[in-house]
Amino acid sequence: MSEFKSGFFVGGESCNGRVLIVDDEPDIRKVVRMTLQKAGYDVLEAENGEKAIETINWGENRLLLDVMICDIRMPKVNGIEAIAYFRENYPRVPLIVLTGFPDTEMATSLLRQGVVDYLVKPVEGEILKAAVGRAMEQRELARL
Amino acid sequence: MIDRPPSDGMGTAAISPAIAHSSVKTQRDTSSLAALPMRVAILGAGRGGTALLEVLHQIRAIEIVGITDKDASAPGLKRAQELNVPVYGVIADLLRDHTLDVVMDVTGDPSVESVLQQHRSPGTAIITGQASCLLWLLVQHESTLQTELLHAEKLAGLGSFAAGIAHDMNNPLQLILGMAENLAEETDLTTVHAQALDIIDAVKRTTAICRDLTSYSRRASLQQDGPVNINSKLDEALKIARYAVALQDIEIHKRYQPDIFVKGNPDKLLHVFVNLITNAVQAMEHHGTLTLETTAVAGATQVRVSDTGCGIAPEVLTRIFEPFYTTKPPGKGTGLGLYNIKNVIQHMQGVVGVESHVGQGSTFTLTFPGNPSRAERTPRTEA
Repeated sequence: MSEFKSGFFVGGESCNGRVLIVDDEPDIRKVVRMTLQKAGYDVLEAENGEKAIETINWGENRLLLDVMICDIRMPKVNGIEAIAYFRENYPRVPLIVLTGFPDTEMATSLLRQGVVDYLVKPVEGEILKAAVGRAMEQRELARL
Repeated sequence: MIDRPPSDGMGTAAISPAIAHSSVKTQRDTSSLAALPMRVAILGAGRGGTALLEVLHQIRAIEIVGITDKDASAPGLKRAQELNVPVYGVIADLLRDHTLDVVMDVTGDPSVESVLQQHRSPGTAIITGQASCLLWLLVQHESTLQTELLHAEKLAGLGSFAAGIAHDMNNPLQLILGMAENLAEETDLTTVHAQALDIIDAVKRTTAICRDLTSYSRRASLQQDGPVNINSKLDEALKIARYAVALQDIEIHKRYQPDIFVKGNPDKLLHVFVNLITNAVQAMEHHGTLTLETTAVAGATQVRVSDTGCGIAPEVLTRIFEPFYTTKPPGKGTGLGLYNIKNVIQHMQGVVGVESHVGQGSTFTLTFPGNPSRAERTPRTEA
């Protein structure tokens, strides 16, 4: 499941950062990967919250993950549970929600928890890239 | 959707199916006269007689002692045999054999009046002519209202499908949008072809969602009841229920006896199954086992929907089939789900039973009279 661009580890110029997309739909992971890879990001995938937790705790991801994009409605550990876990354990990794079902109350609650963006599918590539760009800026600030 | 209230957590309640059945039947007693049923004869087994038969046989306080029609092929006579109501060829025989409280004449035949006058017992009321027309209109109206109520409850429940529909529609749309954006710049022909195929697949999936839901949300067809394949209807209901409730963490066990049919309205039966499955999943709060079981034994066909959820407290269990009874917050449930289920199943001459243990789960059992098309077989399990 996890894929690494070897260039990332040597800090190659082509890599703008490492993004984890958490979604139970392979199609979504495929499209997000395609869009972000073209924009120079290294993309990891997880099919649910449980796998996402495994992935972020695996190897050097703990240190090198820059941004997470997370769906809400997923099996096993769902998005809400996963986000709570990441906010608690990885507060410096910015989180973007990408959901199929817009819910104002949930969006407000998640933004209060520190989620940086709440995107509703289908989202245009440019908007997704802009959101990831903003999250990367936040990540850089957190590193200072 | 329908409302199955959560337990109040007060100890363990074991409700035997027998008790549960009796609680359902209690709903049918609309009068304290159940011990002394009103004895009624129906003259005429055409549309009016059949409609009367359908309604009156559901009322415990009424005993239909017989029905008659000079046309041996009249539809009401066949229906009467299915309901074990005695059929008479001659009106005089029917009047002579019984002490009757009421005779309902829906023949529309003026010559019947003289027969009635000749053979009626003192104290027997006769409803005939315009009075029986009025009665028939009321019966038809009641039947229309029940169908409308079922439809209204179904539409009210569709609101809870929004999250599931949005999830299943927006995911393929995301693929389509992403691929199309890429295709606008893509120069590699192999990639173009592959992504075009991905888009076509995504569109097909979206279309299937619309097809499932428009089919489900339509008004129940007014066609005559026919044989319904129970196993495939349960599978269809699972497909629909997943829009209303998250099934991804629910373990589903199917124990289907092959080739099981019951006679009924397929649209209404689908609605019953969707409601029972939705309730079961809601009772489990995301995790648990849903078991769907069909069996044909001892001249009856049974459908069982079981969950490993919170169960229903005994004091609530006795009320769950009452109309507008709900323990859900305002706006979250109509209180008509199980009431409608009871009506649909009773119309099919079936019985709804429920067995529930607080903290362990519930089983709803639908029992229909009659044998399936094939002999008994050992249920096979599909996890």
